Amino acid sequence: MRTRTYKETYSQLSSLFPYADTWAWYGVLMAIVLALPWLVPTYIFAYVTLVLIAVIGAVGLNIVTGTAGLISLGQAGFLAIGAYTTGILTTSYGWGLASAMLASGVASAAASLLVGIPSLRLKGLYLAITTLAFSIIVVHLINDADSLTGGSSGLPVRRPDLFGVVPMRSQMAMYFLSLAVAVLVILATLNLLRCRVGRAWAALHDYDIAATLMGINLVRYKLLAFAVSAFIVGLAGSLMALNIRYLNTDSFGLILSIEAIAMIIVGGLGSVRGAVLGAILITLLPDLSRWVLGQFGSFTGSLASGSAAEIKGIIYALVIMFFLRMEPEGLNHQWKRIKRFWSEWPYSH
Amino acid sequence: MSYFLNLVFAGLAVGALYGLLAMGYAIIFKVSRVVNFAQGEIMMLIAYMAYSVALRTDGSALLVVLAVLVSSVAVGFLIERFVVRPMLGQPVFSLVMMTIALAILIRSVAALIWGNYPYRFPGAETVQPFVIAGVYIQPLQMVLLAVYGAICVAVWAFLRFNIVGIAMRATASDATVSMLMGVSVTRLYRTAWVVSALIAGIAGILFANINHIGPDMAHIGIRAFPATILGGLDSVIGSAVAGLIIGVVESLTGGYVAATYKEIAGFVVILFVLMIRPYGLFGQRNIERV
Repeated sequence: MRTRTYKETYSQLSSLFPYADTWAWYGVLMAIVLALPWLVPTYIFAYVTLVLIAVIGAVGLNIVTGTAGLISLGQAGFLAIGAYTTGILTTSYGWGLASAMLASGVASAAASLLVGIPSLRLKGLYLAITTLAFSIIVVHLINDADSLTGGSSGLPVRRPDLFGVVPMRSQMAMYFLSLAVAVLVILATLNLLRCRVGRAWAALHDYDIAATLMGINLVRYKLLAFAVSAFIVGLAGSLMALNIRYLNTDSFGLILSIEAIAMIIVGGLGSVRGAVLGAILITLLPDLSRWVLGQFGSFTGSLASGSAAEIKGIIYALVIMFFLRMEPEGLNHQWKRIKRFWSEWPYSH
Repeated sequence: MSYFLNLVFAGLAVGALYGLLAMGYAIIFKVSRVVNFAQGEIMMLIAYMAYSVALRTDGSALLVVLAVLVSSVAVGFLIERFVVRPMLGQPVFSLVMMTIALAILIRSVAALIWGNYPYRFPGAETVQPFVIAGVYIQPLQMVLLAVYGAICVAVWAFLRFNIVGIAMRATASDATVSMLMGVSVTRLYRTAWVVSALIAGIAGILFANINHIGPDMAHIGIRAFPATILGGLDSVIGSAVAGLIIGVVESLTGGYVAATYKEIAGFVVILFVLMIRPYGLFGQRNIERV
C-alpha cells in the first residue's frame, strides 16, 4: 500500500513523483508509446500524432489559463502564428526543421506580449475578449497578406529533414517528432510549475494583491505566463503545419480556441495531467461519438456521417456543459479518485 | 461628399444592429456580471423560428412579430432556467464557458434543422431605395433605426423609472445589499435574460428582412462585442450608442482603407480602448490596476 507520510529527506519532498515505482509505470507507458508504430496500422498512429499535438497545445494553454488564471480565448491566433511561421520559413526560405520550430515558438511568444501588455490592467472577461479580438485580428491579417501566406488559397508546407540528416517524409518520423516534443514540453512544464515561477503563477491566480505583497512582480510574471504558454502553443502550431503540410486560415477559427479551452476544462484546470487527459478525450470525441451513433442503427449512423460538423459541435457543447455542471474539477479529479481506490484496495473507503 | 455620407449611413444602419445586440450583452452583464457569448446565436435562433412560422403561414407581418415575441420570451426563459440557474454560485468563468458551449450548441442545432445556406425571408420585398441628399436609403433601414431609437428610449425609461429596472441598477451596484432590501435577484436574472433575448430577437428579424437569414448571422454577435466594450460592459445605453460608433468606424474603414479591413476595424478599436480606457466610454470605473 502506498502512503505519503514517510518523507526522510528534502529531496523526497520536492521530487517529481512521490514513489519510485511511478517511474516504472511511466516507463511502461513510454515503452508502449514508442513501440506503437510497429504494433498498430498507420492510420492509428497518425491519429495518435494528432492527439499528441493537441496535448502540447492544451498543456501550453493550461499554463496561462489554468495555472495563472488569465483566461485566453486566443489559442487559435497563437497556433496560427506558429503554424504560418514554420510554413513560411521552411517553404519559402528553406530553413531547417528544428530552427523553424524554434522560430515558431519565439514568434508566437513575441506576439503574446502584445496581448500580455493590456492584460496587465485587465482581468477575467475583459482579458478573454482582448485575446479573442487578438486572435480574430491575427487570422484576418494572415489571410490578407496573401503574397506571404498564400491568403485564402492556402499555403503548402515543405517538411524538411531534421538537422539535415534525419528524413522526415514518413508518418512514423512525424509521430516520433511529436512524441519527443510532447514529452519534453510535459516534463518542462511539470518542472516549471513546481519551481518559483510556477508557484508565483499559482499565487497570482489565487490572490494577486497578496502575491504582490509576497514580492512577486506581477508585470513580469503575467507577461512570462503569456510568453511561455504562447511558446509552447507556437510549437504545437508548428507541428500542426508540418503534420498537415497544407495551411489555410479556415482551420484557425474561433472553434479551435474553444476546443482548446474545452480540453483544459474537461481535464481539470491547472493540472498538467488534466490537460493531457482532456486533450486526448476532446480529440477522440468526434470519432468516438460517430462510432457510438453508428452502433445505434443506420439512421443515427447516416446522420452522424452526413452532418459531421454539426454533430461534432453538439457533442462538444454537451460535453463542456456536462463537465462544468457535474465535474468542474475535471478528469484529473476522477483519475485521483480511481487511483486512490485501487492503491488502497482492499481497505479503500 | 455623398460617398462619405453613404458610408456613414450604411455604418449607422449596421451600427444600430450592433447597438441592439450590445444592449443585450450589457443588460445581462449589469445584473449578473456574466458576458453572454451566445447573444448572436440567440438572435439567429429567434430569426429562424420566425422564419419557420412565416414559411408555414401566409407570412403576414402581425404573425411574424407575434412569433418573434413569443419565441424570444420562451428562449430567454428556457436558457435562464436550464443553463444559467444551475450554475449560480459557480465562478463567473464557468458560467461564461457555459454560454460559449450554448453558442456552439445553438449554432449546430440550427445548422442541423435549417441547413447551412442563407435564405431570403419570405415576404421581404426588394423595395427601390429612395435618395436623400445623395444617400441611398432602404425603407427597412429607416425602420431599423426607428426601432433602435424606440428600444433605446424604452430601455432607458425602464431602467430609470420602472421598479424592476431600479432593482436591476441596485443589483448592479451591490447584489448583496439589494438582496437584503428584498429584491429577488434570481427573478432579476430571469428578467435580464428575457429582455436581452427580446432585443436580440427584434434585431434578428430586422436583419433577416434587410439582408437574409443564414448561419452567418451568428457572427454579428461577435462583431457587436467591440460596441459593448467601447460603451462599457455595464452601461446599457452607452453600449447602444457605441454600436453606432463601431458601425460607422467599420463602414469608413471599409470605404477608405480597404474592404478587407472592415471586419477587424472594430476589434482593433477595442484593443486600444482596453489599453487606454478599459471601462469604456460610459462604464463604471472599477477595474483594478497593477
